[in-house]
Amino acid sequence: MFNLIPIKYRLLLLFAFASCSLRAADVKGKLSGIVTNEAGVPLQGIAITVDPDHKRALSDAKGRFTLDHLYAGTYTLTVTAIGYESHREEIEVETGKNKSIMIRLKAGNHSLDEVEIAGAHRNPDNLIDMMKTAMPGQVITRKEIEMMGSRRLDEVLKEQTGLAIVSDIGSGSRAVGLQMQGFDSGYTMIMIDGQPMVGRNNGNFDLSRITVSNIERIEIIKGASSCLFGSEALAGVINIVTRKNITEPQGMAALRYGSFNMIDATLEGETPFAGKRGTVYFSGNYYRTEGFNSNPYLKEGKTAPPFDSYALQGRGRYLLTDKSSLNFNGRYTARHSVNEISYGVMPSKDVLDEYDLNGSVALNTNFNDGTKLKTQYYLTRYQTNQNITDLNSGSLIPGNQFEQYLHRFEVQGARVLSPVVELTAGAGGAYELLDNNAYRSSKTMANYFIYGQIDWQLSRRLSFIGGARYDDHDKYGAKLNPSAGLRYQAMKNLVLKAAVGTGFKTPNFQQLYLVFTNVQTGYTVLGAEEFWREIQILKDAGQITNVFPMARQIGNLKPERSVSYSGGFTYSPLGSVKLDVNVFYNDLKDFINSEQVALKTNGQQVYSYVNIARAYMTGTEIGLNWTMSKSLNISAGYQLLYAVDKGVVDSIKAGTGSYALVYDPALYDMRRSTRKDYVGMNNRSRHMANIKFTYAEEKTGWSGSFRVNYRSKYGFMEANRANNFLDPYDTFVRSFFLLSGAVQKTLYQKHLQLQFSVDNIMDYRDQLMPAQQGRAIVLGLSWRFFKNRTVKPMDRS
Amino acid sequence: MRHTTLIAAVLVMGSIFTACTKKEDRPDLEDGKSTVINDLEGDIGASMADGIDGKVKRPFKDWYFNFKKKEKITDTVENARTLNWDIGFTGVYNSMVVINNGTDRKSPGYGGPGKGMIISVNLPYKLVAEAPSAEEMKNNNLSFVGWDKYPQPYNAGWYFYDLKTHISIPVKSRTFILLTAEGKYAKLELLNIYKGNPAVVSDLHWPAPYFTFRYFVQEDGSRNLKTNE
Repeated sequence: MFNLIPIKYRLLLLFAFASCSLRAADVKGKLSGIVTNEAGVPLQGIAITVDPDHKRALSDAKGRFTLDHLYAGTYTLTVTAIGYESHREEIEVETGKNKSIMIRLKAGNHSLDEVEIAGAHRNPDNLIDMMKTAMPGQVITRKEIEMMGSRRLDEVLKEQTGLAIVSDIGSGSRAVGLQMQGFDSGYTMIMIDGQPMVGRNNGNFDLSRITVSNIERIEIIKGASSCLFGSEALAGVINIVTRKNITEPQGMAALRYGSFNMIDATLEGETPFAGKRGTVYFSGNYYRTEGFNSNPYLKEGKTAPPFDSYALQGRGRYLLTDKSSLNFNGRYTARHSVNEISYGVMPSKDVLDEYDLNGSVALNTNFNDGTKLKTQYYLTRYQTNQNITDLNSGSLIPGNQFEQYLHRFEVQGARVLSPVVELTAGAGGAYELLDNNAYRSSKTMANYFIYGQIDWQLSRRLSFIGGARYDDHDKYGAKLNPSAGLRYQAMKNLVLKAAVGTGFKTPNFQQLYLVFTNVQTGYTVLGAEEFWREIQILKDAGQITNVFPMARQIGNLKPERSVSYSGGFTYSPLGSVKLDVNVFYNDLKDFINSEQVALKTNGQQVYSYVNIARAYMTGTEIGLNWTMSKSLNISAGYQLLYAVDKGVVDSIKAGTGSYALVYDPALYDMRRSTRKDYVGMNNRSRHMANIKFTYAEEKTGWSGSFRVNYRSKYGFMEANRANNFLDPYDTFVRSFFLLSGAVQKTLYQKHLQLQFSVDNIMDYRDQLMPAQQGRAIVLGLSWRFFKNRTVKPMDRS
Repeated sequence: MRHTTLIAAVLVMGSIFTACTKKEDRPDLEDGKSTVINDLEGDIGASMADGIDGKVKRPFKDWYFNFKKKEKITDTVENARTLNWDIGFTGVYNSMVVINNGTDRKSPGYGGPGKGMIISVNLPYKLVAEAPSAEEMKNNNLSFVGWDKYPQPYNAGWYFYDLKTHISIPVKSRTFILLTAEGKYAKLELLNIYKGNPAVVSDLHWPAPYFTFRYFVQEDGSRNLKTNE
């Protein structure tokens, strides 16, 4: 039809269309204003933020600012500035109109308050905003944790979409860890207040080690995040933020008692001192449980071992000057566990003693031009001593016995470079020392790093986050890990996101230095650095039958690498409904597997570690949140996951070795295997889903939650015949639902809170899920100490 | 309460997800004809340690089994070259099952009167109805059954290891046809090395070796091994 119009008129038409669309921009509104202090003096360099769009402006020399191209609607405007009280107001922007406002900032009291801003997450310990990194992030607030009634960290995290607590049977009954997006637990970095925690059992970090009593918030990033956090942040990062300081004296005493003789007691308090120049916070927690047994063959003892644990934490903050403060943080945890096991015969006693110490000192400085600087020294020490005594013979089977130290120094800075660019950067070094009975001598690792991240509002709709980190390790040389993310506001209620990032993980001490022979079965595991010397010793002793050709690959173990791709959208068709869809693809290279590399004369195997594996983990995560009313909220989550070892796929196609055949029960015999016979990697569920109903009524003080969690079946072990991959005829753990609920009531003007919770209401148990406890009924009460005022105490949700 | 209907819906949904535990389904091993041996204790006091401090190295002690008497025979020196045993449990965890044959160097009964042999058949125990000819037995004689496909791929075994969990898993739907020490046809199914004959072992320290196996000896000397009627 266009062809029928003569050329000169075509141009006119085009211009008409173009100007129409330009004028369409007038459908939006504008916000402008002036920021002054109480005396009316204009203030420069003040950041004004408008939410939910999270648009920012900086006031100029005359205190003026402008935000245009805003869609019509209601916004929350926040102004934060050092030395002033934060300012928050609701404003209405109308189509085609310029809303003009005057902001007068009141001088704040001289303690550096932690300002609570809805939607923003200011972390006193880390200038990096976890929720503003390239990869998708999620926050679990203290209120949510309270509504679940959880006591330990593993209980909270296993109910989140895409996260699962998995047992590593091959590493013993105490090896449990967190699986994220299909990655084993060794690939997720666990941080406390922005600093990494150490102490893993063959990569597994037992999260039941951490109490939730003093957790303010849990931040989860899913996707390779080595661009900010370095090694280990391959699958993602879990950051536990502990209680923040406030300026009012407060305290809490809480006691919980429940099934399996579980006792959870907490005492905490915080108060300002030195005339509000300082604040100090202290908390102590005692937890004990008798554990739980899910194995019907076990006559005595538990599969989820009993333990008691003490946790002490202290934080202090002191204002040195108007613009700088000194922060101190110390945490000590001790855990003692004795598990007496008997299957009716061969009784044994499994004893574990574990100690965690974290401490940090930081100097926070805020400069006049808005730059924030943090200088921090962090020390963490982990010690574990575990062994099993055979009660019949009295002989001792040593387990993990080691001491691990990490010293870390870091300087971090954050600065708003312009109204559209915010920069966070840091540099530092770390020194790690490991003293393990199983290694020939104590081992050390040192590295330094430098990183930066830019948050750049490219246009009114498009923002870009890019970061990179350079790590130089004394064993593995240098690594550069970049990441980039885009966020596009397609419509008022639709945001599109995409991100790509790389991750790496240096081989752990075990993969490098372990020299271990399993006392019961006689197989030997040798770390890559020790392999050639130890194998020669065994050869000289005449204990080696033959060394496999694969052993030639053993030498310098390289770090494991991955690239994460992620893309998705957030859509809010209604104000009360939010839909989050994210597709992820993680490409794994150079992953380290323990492979059999030699055979001993006693018929047992020798294993070592090689960078051999390539795999991908891909899938999608969908979250739906519906705020039905002011008090009732429903959220649902679902993850679909494919975890595929590319080496297995290639071996099946090529028909190499055991991979070529699969046992078909219908034929009573082996047949040629096909790609369809490969289900995926062990221990991963194809589907995981959850639904949460939460209820919180401010007026009556009632709150509660009801949750359903689902995991589809996952591969547990081979069956029938050995073909080294998971086929449909192998042993799977059955798919299951877990139901939990909790209810709380506050009384006496929020001083007293009563809690009642039931975890695993249907008492679901499975021998193949050793860490899953049966039904746990818990009763608790807590008393909060604070001065009654008209303004309620900081609601830290 | 405004949300009564919602709460009711939630409760109904909760009851639908009645996820309770199920007791594992184990088929009954008794068939009226076969002898079932449950949890026969092997050498549980041995250690495989190679130079671990404070541990005395003591290799696993072999022992034998007599089909007719259903007895364990621990004095191997006395009984090796006799007809007092039909199969032996030897080696690491006593997991290598050997036969009693006077002419087979691989058998502890070498030099004695034993006529034992063992072959492997990929069929479930109850479907093995007939032993092959004496010629076939001789040609396919394995002499021992232990770790599947070791030392050579043709060495059919009765268990294999899962390399991730280090647990030994019995090979399913495989039956061994053998000749007892006296030369009678028999069939044998080796079911488990772990106490309680669990369907799946979920603990690295599950007590072992405790042998569960069943067998049927055709006393009339024929090749008929039918046990299910």
